[in-house]
Amino acid sequence: MFSLALKNILFYKGRTLTTFLLSLCSTVLFVVYVAFMDGSHESMLKNSLSIYTGAIQVMHAGHYENPSYDTLLEDLPSVMQTLKEIEGIRASTPRLESFALLSSEEDSAGAMVTGIVPESEVLVSRLKEALVKGRYLDSEDSNRLYMGEELAKRLGVDLDDEVALVGSATDYSFAAERFQIIGLFKTGLFEFDASSAFVNKAYFDGLMLSEKMASSIVITVDDPEKAETVAEKISKELPEGTEVLTWKKLMASMVQAMEVDSLFGYISMGLFFIVVFFVIMIFGFINISGRIRELGLLRALGLRSSEILKLLLLEAAILAFASVLAGTVIGGYLAHFYELNPIIIKGMAETYKAYGIISDEVPTRFDLFTIAWNAMVVLLLNFLAIFYPVYYIRQFTPTEAMHHV
Amino acid sequence: MVRLEHVHKYFNKDTQREVHALDDVSLVIEDGEFTVITGTSGCGKTTLLNAIGALDSVDSGRITIDETEITKLDERERAALRLQDIGFVFQAYNLIPVLNVAENIGFIMKLQGYHHEAIEKRIREVAMILEMDHRLSAMPNELSGGQQQRVAVARAVAAKPKLLLADEPTANLDSKNSQRLMQMMKSLNEIEKTTILFASHDDYVMEMSRREIILSDGHVEKM
Repeated sequence: MFSLALKNILFYKGRTLTTFLLSLCSTVLFVVYVAFMDGSHESMLKNSLSIYTGAIQVMHAGHYENPSYDTLLEDLPSVMQTLKEIEGIRASTPRLESFALLSSEEDSAGAMVTGIVPESEVLVSRLKEALVKGRYLDSEDSNRLYMGEELAKRLGVDLDDEVALVGSATDYSFAAERFQIIGLFKTGLFEFDASSAFVNKAYFDGLMLSEKMASSIVITVDDPEKAETVAEKISKELPEGTEVLTWKKLMASMVQAMEVDSLFGYISMGLFFIVVFFVIMIFGFINISGRIRELGLLRALGLRSSEILKLLLLEAAILAFASVLAGTVIGGYLAHFYELNPIIIKGMAETYKAYGIISDEVPTRFDLFTIAWNAMVVLLLNFLAIFYPVYYIRQFTPTEAMHHV
Repeated sequence: MVRLEHVHKYFNKDTQREVHALDDVSLVIEDGEFTVITGTSGCGKTTLLNAIGALDSVDSGRITIDETEITKLDERERAALRLQDIGFVFQAYNLIPVLNVAENIGFIMKLQGYHHEAIEKRIREVAMILEMDHRLSAMPNELSGGQQQRVAVARAVAAKPKLLLADEPTANLDSKNSQRLMQMMKSLNEIEKTTILFASHDDYVMEMSRREIILSDGHVEKM
C-alpha cells in the first residue's frame, strides 16, 4: 500500500508539487510569523523590564497597592543577604522611592525621587545606559541628582543647575535639600522620563531617615519566563509580611497588550489557515474527483473502502510530512537566523518608544517547542483537508465509480 | 459453479424511472465454461455480470459461487470475494496508471499476499501466453488499446480466480486485436481451466464461445 501511495505521488507530479509547495509555504510562513511575533514580544518585554522594572520586585505586603512610608521593607541588609543565597537570581538592588516637589528658579514639578545604589542598579536596569548628558551617579555622590530629560525640560533646568527638593522623610518630618543636576537620561518612556529623578541612596537615606529601609528590591533573573519559579523560592525564604511580585503583575498592562496583540496575530493566522485549508481541500477534492474511476477500479479488483481510505490518507500523510518537515527546517532556519541577525527597521524605536521599544531591531524567537507545535498545526490541517474528498469518494459503489465521467 | 436463482434487479426502484434490469434470471454456469452473455444494448448483460461479480447487489434472488451465497455477503466480504475468487476485465480503463505492466499483472497476487518470487514467476508465465512478456516494464499509457486489454486479462488470470468476468472486452478494439485477444482467452480457458464469462455482442466473441446466453429486457431468452 505504501509503495502504491508513493507511486501515485510520483506519478501525479503537478498535483504533488502544488500540494507540497502550498503546505511548505504555509509551514514556513507560520513558523516565521510566530517567531517574529514571539521575538518582538520578548524583546519588548526584556527592554521594558531592563529599563527600570526588573523581573521581580520584593516589597512589604500592601506596598504595591498602597505605597507609603508605613509599608517600607526594613532590616534591608538581612533581606539582601537572604536574596544572595537564592538560586536563579542574577542581580538585585534596593530602591527608596519618595514623591517630592522639585523646584527650579523657573518652575516646580512633582517628581518621583528615588534613592538607588548606583553600582548594583546598573545590574538590574538601563538607567546608566539611558544617559544623554553629564554622568551617571556614583556611590560617593551626595546631593547630586540624575534627572529625566523631559523632567529637566519641564523645570527649565540643564546640567549643573540646582533644584530644590521638598518632601517628607520616612518619619513624616519635613525634608528639604538643594540638589545639583549631574546627569540627564532618556529611556524613551515619556512618562517615566518626565517624572523621575535619582539620587545616591546612601545620601538619600540620611535625608529621608531611611537607613536599612527600602520601598522595593528589584531583581533580575536569567530567564524572565521563569520569574514565577524564582519568585516562589524567594517567598519561601523571606519572612512573612513580604510580598514578591513578578513582571506579570508589575507590568500587567503590557502583558495584556501583548496578549491582545498575540490574539490578533493568531486570528490573522487563523484566517490565513482557513484559506489554506480550503485551498488544500478543494485541490484535493479536484484531484480525487479526477481519480474516481481509478479508485473504482481498485475497489472492483478487491480493495476494501477502508483500504482506499488508507491509501489516500497515506498519500496525504507522505506529502504532508515531507512538506511540513521541509517547511519546518526552512522556517526554523529563518527563525534562528533572524534571532542572531535581527531585521532593522530604522525609526521604529522612536515611533514605538511609548510601548517600551528601545531598539530598531526586530528579532525572532527561535524556540523548538513553538516550532514543533506550529508544524503540528499545519500537519493537522493537511489531514483535515483530505477528509471531505475521501468522504465524497466513499459514496460511490465500485461500478458507479468506474462509470464516473 | 455459478448458480443464479430468480434474480431480480431494479434501478430507480419505486420511482417513475424504475427499470427492471434483471427479471427473474435463473441459470447455471459450470466450471471451465467459456460462455458469452449476449443481447441488445441495455438488455442487462453488464448488470448480470456485475451481480455475479459481487460488484452490485440484487433486489431479490440468490447467486452462489461454489458454496458461497454472494447475495448474503456484506461489502467487506464481497470485496474479499472479488479479490480472492473473481477476475475482471472491463471494457475500458482497466489498468492502474501508476503501475507498469508487470506490476499491474502482479497487483492482485500482491494483495493476496503471494511471495515475491511466486508473483514474478506467474507474471512471466501469463505474460508469455498473452504475448506481453516483451513489454513488462512499459507503463499503461505507452501501450495500445489491444495491449492494455491483454495486460488486463493477464492480471485477471494471474491469481488463478475461480471465475473470470469480461465485460465487452473487445468493444474498443479493432477486429484483428479482438480476434487475437479472444484466441488468447480461449487458450487460457483451455490451459488454466479458468471459467470465463463474457458480456458481449461482438459476433467473433459469440463464434468463439462454447455457450451463448441471450438476454432480452432483463430476462433469459435462451440458455
